[in-house]
Amino acid sequence: MSHLELGLWSFPILLGMIFLRVPIGLAMLAVGFFGTWLVTGSWIPILAQMKSLTYDTFSNYSLSIVPLFLLMGQFATRGGMSRALFKAAETWLGHRKGGVAMAAVGACAGFGAICGSSLATAATMGQVALPELRRYGYSGALATGCLAAGGTLGILIPPSVVLVIYAILTEQNIIKLFMAAMVPGVLAALGYMLTIAIYVRLKPGSAGQREPAGMGERLTALVAVWPVLAIFAVVIGGIYLGWFTPTEGAAVGAAGTGLVALANGGLSWRGLGEAITGTAVSTGMIFFIVLGATVYNGFLAFSQLPQEAATYVASMGVSPWLVLLSILLCYLVFGCVMDSLSMILLTIPIFFPIVSVLDFGLPLEEMALWFGVIVLIVVEVGLITPPVGMNLFVINAMAREVPLTQTYAGALPFVLSDMIRVAILLLFPTITLGLVRLLY
Amino acid sequence: MAGGAVLIAALIVTVVSIVGRALIFAGLAPIPGDFELVEAATAFAVLAFMPLCQFHRGHVTVDLFLTRAGRRPNALIDVATNLAMTGAAGVITWRLCLGMLDKRSYGETTFILQFPVWWSYAGALVGAAVFTLVCAYTVWRSLDEAKTGEARGGGKEIGAQ
Repeated sequence: MSHLELGLWSFPILLGMIFLRVPIGLAMLAVGFFGTWLVTGSWIPILAQMKSLTYDTFSNYSLSIVPLFLLMGQFATRGGMSRALFKAAETWLGHRKGGVAMAAVGACAGFGAICGSSLATAATMGQVALPELRRYGYSGALATGCLAAGGTLGILIPPSVVLVIYAILTEQNIIKLFMAAMVPGVLAALGYMLTIAIYVRLKPGSAGQREPAGMGERLTALVAVWPVLAIFAVVIGGIYLGWFTPTEGAAVGAAGTGLVALANGGLSWRGLGEAITGTAVSTGMIFFIVLGATVYNGFLAFSQLPQEAATYVASMGVSPWLVLLSILLCYLVFGCVMDSLSMILLTIPIFFPIVSVLDFGLPLEEMALWFGVIVLIVVEVGLITPPVGMNLFVINAMAREVPLTQTYAGALPFVLSDMIRVAILLLFPTITLGLVRLLY
Repeated sequence: MAGGAVLIAALIVTVVSIVGRALIFAGLAPIPGDFELVEAATAFAVLAFMPLCQFHRGHVTVDLFLTRAGRRPNALIDVATNLAMTGAAGVITWRLCLGMLDKRSYGETTFILQFPVWWSYAGALVGAAVFTLVCAYTVWRSLDEAKTGEARGGGKEIGAQ
């Protein structure tokens, strides 16, 4: 078998293992390990590589940002900031038609600014907002659907763990990626609110009304969210202005969120222990996948598949847009069954070389930022589509009286809103790149 | 827990260092070689987190296709994957150990602080060794579950991400 064929065969084998419930990191590690052995015809290269690969991967300075952002998210979850955010959004938006659901989306967006994980955002905001939504007479479908969708803002609005991984894989500037994701993130929140506005007009019975809050109450609620704004501004602003590196920014953010949580009384010794255990388990999971992906990508490089695939696609002469759309379609399909991080680690090393030889009329760096943000959105759609939409499960588990099918139905309008947004971002790269161009 | 403590320590080192750098005009200074400390600490913390993740069944799997297959076949798959995980952890530990011996014999040191690189390897090695042991334990745990058909031995599932 030629090297190329070995590379191609590795996909079905890998997917087969993953569908047999082999942990994704382990599957990539094993296929990469034995694949390198087959391609090089000897055990020596892979064994020699493994001597330093584990340490080098785990001690990568850029990757050390990941556990710190995870810790920050854990502190944020315990810090009572979710309640303040929802309260503020609710007093300003709550009296509109569907306003409490809009407030939940807005609060998710705010929480996403200090938390880089979708599941954590959905779970945290769900705890706060779900009882309120039910109290104001929102239907089970709308209440769970808008929270599941709002949760995906956690990863789109910086800081975002998946974007960090994408930046490392494609050697892009992390802060530029964060900037590129900012406007699409805000657009996502606005798009979800618009979806809610249309939804409650089409189905008037699905939402109740709430008395408008007085100006005093509104201002008090707004003042209470200043820690969130301060942390976000210091972390993102500080990295942008060069006060500190992204890793240092994450450390500052984690320390700041920890202090706020401590001040709010949300962080007892037990809470601290749980926050660290949660961080530890997620970190272990992510880094094991990263290690597996590193070994697997080493094998793919040996097999020369990524370069060959890129040359092949370039020589086919089909429209770049067709290639891009097929890639995005791939992500949509796999997103239904796989988690976003594994998908990015598994596919970017193959897809990115292909996309970078295509001509979209953008410089390579801008193309990389644009592609990254769009892939991130498409991958996140998988979180709110059946059958394996993790956000749907998380929210549904909190609302025991709502059947899962209703949550599926409630999430569909938001999936539609995602699709429309992806189309807009594809047609107008300036929306994504404008802020980056403006600032650099 | 040791890993957690080290992660917090790395966080504090970093924050202190930034404050130091910000206050250079006031006669303070950043911690020299702070990023070397952070790198070593992350490697140690991450490998210390591995056994915890394995124990709490934290690794991501795709459960879609086998949920209807029933308890027993799934329990057998768990035994197989845990065995494979033990093998992988064993190989990682073995190679890491040889890597450490290499670094020691070359006497390689870090750039700024000049501490021997093999020290950090040794720290990471402890985590890797515990990881292998915990993997072996989970094989035993899943065997027990396959026999009795019940979840055993603690380690409640903690959500991924």
